[in-house]
Amino acid sequence: MKSYLVAIPVCLGLALVAAPAARAGSANVMADSCAGCHGTGGQSLGAMPAFNTKSADELKKMLRDYRSGAREATIMDRITKGYSEAQLDAIVDYYKK
Amino acid sequence: MMKLSRRTFTGLVGFAGAASAFGLSACATGPKVVVVGGGFGGATAAKYVKRYLPGANVVLIDAAKTHFTCPFSNTVIGGMNSMAFIERSFDALANKYGITVVTDMVTAIDPVTKVVKTKGGISFGYDKLVVSPGVDLKWGALEGYDEAAAELMPHAWKAGPQTALLRKQLEAMPNGGTVMISAPGNPFRCPPGPYERASLIAYYLKTQKPKSKLIILDAKDAFAKDKLFKEGWEKMYDNIIEWVPAAKNGKVVKVDAKAGVLETDFDKFKPAVANVIPPQSAGAIALSTGLADKSGFCPVDPNTFESTLHKDIFVIGDACTAGEMPKSGYSASSQAKVAAGAIAAMVMGDKPAAMSAINTCYSLLAPDYGISVSGVYSVQDGKIANIKGAGGVSPSGANYQFRKKEADFAGGWYASICQDTWG
Ligand SMILES: Cc1cc2nc3c(=O)[nH]c(=O)nc-3n(C[C@H](O)[C@H](O)[C@H](O)COP(=O)(O)OP(=O)(O)OC[C@H]3O[C@@H](n4cnc5c(N)ncnc54)[C@H](O)[C@@H]3O)c2cc1C
Ligand code: HEC
Repeated sequence: MKSYLVAIPVCLGLALVAAPAARAGSANVMADSCAGCHGTGGQSLGAMPAFNTKSADELKKMLRDYRSGAREATIMDRITKGYSEAQLDAIVDYYKK
Repeated sequence: MMKLSRRTFTGLVGFAGAASAFGLSACATGPKVVVVGGGFGGATAAKYVKRYLPGANVVLIDAAKTHFTCPFSNTVIGGMNSMAFIERSFDALANKYGITVVTDMVTAIDPVTKVVKTKGGISFGYDKLVVSPGVDLKWGALEGYDEAAAELMPHAWKAGPQTALLRKQLEAMPNGGTVMISAPGNPFRCPPGPYERASLIAYYLKTQKPKSKLIILDAKDAFAKDKLFKEGWEKMYDNIIEWVPAAKNGKVVKVDAKAGVLETDFDKFKPAVANVIPPQSAGAIALSTGLADKSGFCPVDPNTFESTLHKDIFVIGDACTAGEMPKSGYSASSQAKVAAGAIAAMVMGDKPAAMSAINTCYSLLAPDYGISVSGVYSVQDGKIANIKGAGGVSPSGANYQFRKKEADFAGGWYASICQDTWG
């Protein structure tokens, strides 16, 4: 029995080499944290506005305007202040890729 | 050994050796990631590990066949929604994402041999393990409050039969009865939860049993979003809700469930309905695995959520200690993505990305009156902390339209996070 257990790490070694190409970069986790309100991929349900239907430029402008206070909000003003403009742009690029 | 036949495989099930059988199948297809718990943390972790590492072999184990969410369970208690509204199935995780969903209770985790064992007698080997069992109630920590007492004075702090029981008691209560909620000290699951519950029960009383009262006996002198709750209560429930802080002898120190009595240091109360929310700890499996410290919760690396006590085990959600992040479904979901990202990076031999997470808790004071608190988090000086200038609570003194909008967004949030977690 024991020998089976020791064998696992060896197998894992093989698995590592064969692992698929999808990689997790910083923008993924940062951007995916928005999906708690906006659904996987930005497809928001109910009253939450979906954003996967808008262009990248529109989205970038909206997010900058929430951050500066130029666009009215109940909560996006508070949330966008947690990111730099460059980070917000990168989040949009991830959703639009 | 690689030629393990189906027959041998079957023969192994029920022994620790079965772990190696599962482990072997991982050799062919990718790293083996096991997730304990299919709530907000666990289900999100399983789905996002698959998104970040499509070749991973992901097994999600939950003791229950379906998950009843605590979020929106207060609307069931208030009579606005049915139990079915808060019931989530694991089917999409299995069918759409190829996650192996197992209905069984995890009874032991061996962090040395890296094997998870279940009540049903199955063992699973893992390369990386995610543990998201939520909280367990500390029976007896409040004198007189044990499992039997909870059948008479429900906690309803884990959604399911307890939610339905509290609703039933409220329905059976005569007009003019008094409801009491005993709220615990920090830390506990969902800091604004007791006060949202008080609001939605008050809404039910106001509309259906207007001679009734609701008293919150609190072990604290302040609570999450308290200014906003008090503003709303004054407007809507002025002669229904009374909040008694610890400083005014609000802390319940003993219960006698059979007699229906709640005791503080100086008083005894006999309400028509008592909802006792007791002190909590990380889920039992986290405690028995030695993942918790003396706080009763699990210390983790703030960048990855890997346990600081056992390597290759990631503890997320209510069970972990996550700096300034409160114990909420949103936090659990966001932490799950951080852990999934870290697991993917580690398996690929990369450095995990910088930690980034969000929390938001919407609370309903009435079906058309919502408030929120939000935070955006990063690791600062080695601890998870809110980013300065970001987050915070809804404005005080906002008009009806604003509160109504946030109530609608609360519903949209619930639908969206359930899609993101189980859909
Ligand atoms: C009344 C109330 C209202 C709330 N409202 C909100 C809200 O509006 N917004 C919000 O963000 N949060 C809210 N919360 C908080 C939220 O419910 C929790 O923070 C969240 O569920 C934590 O997720 P988790 O994955 O840690 O645990 P859970 O979601 O509790 O999931 C744990 C899962 O693990 C399973 N499990 C445990 N042990 C084992 C084992 N040994 N073997 C197999 N399976 C096991 C359980 O069956 C369960 O399905 C509320 C909580 C309450 C009580
Ligand atoms: C707590 C829930 C919540 C979170 C978290 C959240 N949003 Fe929003 N989002 C909203 C709401 C609500 C609106 C509508 C504006 C408002 O009232 O704040 C909105 C609006 C938007 C819009 C405008 C869509 C439109 O068509 O009007 C975009 C773009 C957007 N959010 C992107 C994001 C991104 C990117 C993140 C993550 C950094 C994020 N949101 C996180 C709730 C949320």
